[in-house]
Amino acid sequence: MEQALQVENLSKTYRRRKRQAGLMGAVKALFGGEEEELKAVQSLSFSIKRGERVGLIGENGAGKSTTLKMLTGILVPTAGRLEVLGRVPWKERRQLALNIGVVFGQRPQLLWDIPVQETFELLRTMYRIPKDVYEVVYGEAVSRLGLGPLLGTPVRQLSLGQRMRCDLAAALLHAPAVVFLDEPTIGLDLSVKEQVREFITDIQEKYGITLLLTTHDLKDITETCDRLLLLDKGKLLFDGSIKDFEKEYASDRRIVAELQKPVSPEDKTLLEKESARLGGTLKEAEGCRLVIEHKDESLAPPLIQMLLSRVKVVDLNLEKTDIETIVTRIYRRPEGGRE
Amino acid sequence: MKSRALATPLSFNENLASYLSYLNRALKANFAYKSSTFLGLFTGALSYGITVLVWRHVYAQGGLAHALSANEMFSYLALAFCLNYAMTINIDQRVGQRIRLGLIATDLLKPLDFQLTQAVQALSDSLFNGFVGLGVLAVVYTVLGSAILPKNLACLVLFLPSVFLAFVVQYSIVFLFIQGAFYTYSGYGLFASRIALHQTFSGLQAPLILYPPILLTLGRWLPFQHIIYSPISIYMGRVEGLQALNLLGEQFLWATVLYLVGHYTLRKALGQLEIQGG
Repeated sequence: MEQALQVENLSKTYRRRKRQAGLMGAVKALFGGEEEELKAVQSLSFSIKRGERVGLIGENGAGKSTTLKMLTGILVPTAGRLEVLGRVPWKERRQLALNIGVVFGQRPQLLWDIPVQETFELLRTMYRIPKDVYEVVYGEAVSRLGLGPLLGTPVRQLSLGQRMRCDLAAALLHAPAVVFLDEPTIGLDLSVKEQVREFITDIQEKYGITLLLTTHDLKDITETCDRLLLLDKGKLLFDGSIKDFEKEYASDRRIVAELQKPVSPEDKTLLEKESARLGGTLKEAEGCRLVIEHKDESLAPPLIQMLLSRVKVVDLNLEKTDIETIVTRIYRRPEGGRE
Repeated sequence: MKSRALATPLSFNENLASYLSYLNRALKANFAYKSSTFLGLFTGALSYGITVLVWRHVYAQGGLAHALSANEMFSYLALAFCLNYAMTINIDQRVGQRIRLGLIATDLLKPLDFQLTQAVQALSDSLFNGFVGLGVLAVVYTVLGSAILPKNLACLVLFLPSVFLAFVVQYSIVFLFIQGAFYTYSGYGLFASRIALHQTFSGLQAPLILYPPILLTLGRWLPFQHIIYSPISIYMGRVEGLQALNLLGEQFLWATVLYLVGHYTLRKALGQLEIQGG
């Protein structure tokens, strides 16, 4: 399959002036002052094939939006090489723009002072959208994202959620080859988020769009993407399928048992020893609740067998750490990386 | 799953259709702030009224009649006020704010030339304000009468391209100042500097011939005179024939040079752009 995006050793460094707090700090800054460098993206390398659906995640300040801005040609990289659809974005921004669609969640592309429909009409001319494509995407956007009542309203009078839906439709209207979505579900309520994800997935499938999406809502990733890129402090920490991500990072599995009667101190000591012998760890034994953690799927049967032979169990659950918990743990590590 | 073929660059006609469609929307957006427009008009008229009163006082003292008659002076001021209104374009404030807030990102995502898109936006401002300016001129006509009409048909014919070139000069100057905001991230200081230069050297307050020699020389070397002073000089017949054509040539030269400088400095300015945060 043809490559849609190729990124090699991409870096972006911002310069910013250091400012001390207070009025004196502001006065000093007026007459010069020190500059500091902020490495937003550092030696980032990855490639994405045509038609792939990739999620880009990372904490605030990890470099997600900066990466997207370089990929769309808005920002010039400090170093490295990148190509989108065979074009160097910052050098061939206009030609590339014809084949990409972009949503910056907090920066709408809609014309602010006039009704939404006007932006759609402008985009239709600007991108020479064929009638069949326009009718399908526009029709689906209006019906599935509930845009009908919003079309005649000036953009500045829309709520954040309404604006987001319109902006998403505007970005997809020309069924571009590559779509970059920067936090496309920000400010949306749960049911609308679901509608938006379904709409993105359907249009992506219908036109074979390459999708690169950044978000803080991991459900956006699990429901619309097959592959995950994890950025941390401007560096790529993980690149692979969501399944591989879980395998690599979701080492924690839990057996959660509800007992018939509270666990006695003797049973607790015994369970601690037996769990350890079988490769698990007794994490919790309070009242009637008991939790054993283990690292490997294959350890569950012997641990359960041991548990059932020692105490009376009324309910039993096997839990795997969800993707959200894994990501939160990675963010909390001082220097990122695996545990 | 089928992939759509990649879009090829827009043809001249498709580009033209896009810019016209953009102009259409920009004009509609201008109408969204009509109350602000009329407030601006009122303030401008007030300022013009004060200027007229000052000049009336100067003429009452027998001041400048040798250089320009009182009638010519008041006609000039009325025409300068109306033309200045048509030359009022707000893209520097608009773009400055968009750079500061990072909204410029969405402007750069369009498959259109940034400089031309801003020119279309400026044209929309100019057409909208020019329409209002014409209304004002009709009111002024009821007071000053034929004194504000062009000297003859030839003057009117040459005045029209001169106004167009005045617009290109004005837009190109504004566009160069806009680019400063890519470096400073605050458009206000640049906007204030441009306005100060415009008010001093465009001929808005008075014809340049009334300026002291040093300011007159400086004004002659700067492009601002071609925004108001030159077109009105042609309109009133103060320059005619070959002289008028020379003036048009000068305007054309400034318009071309300024537009091209803006074109070549834009890439460097865009390279400076930093938009941090999502």
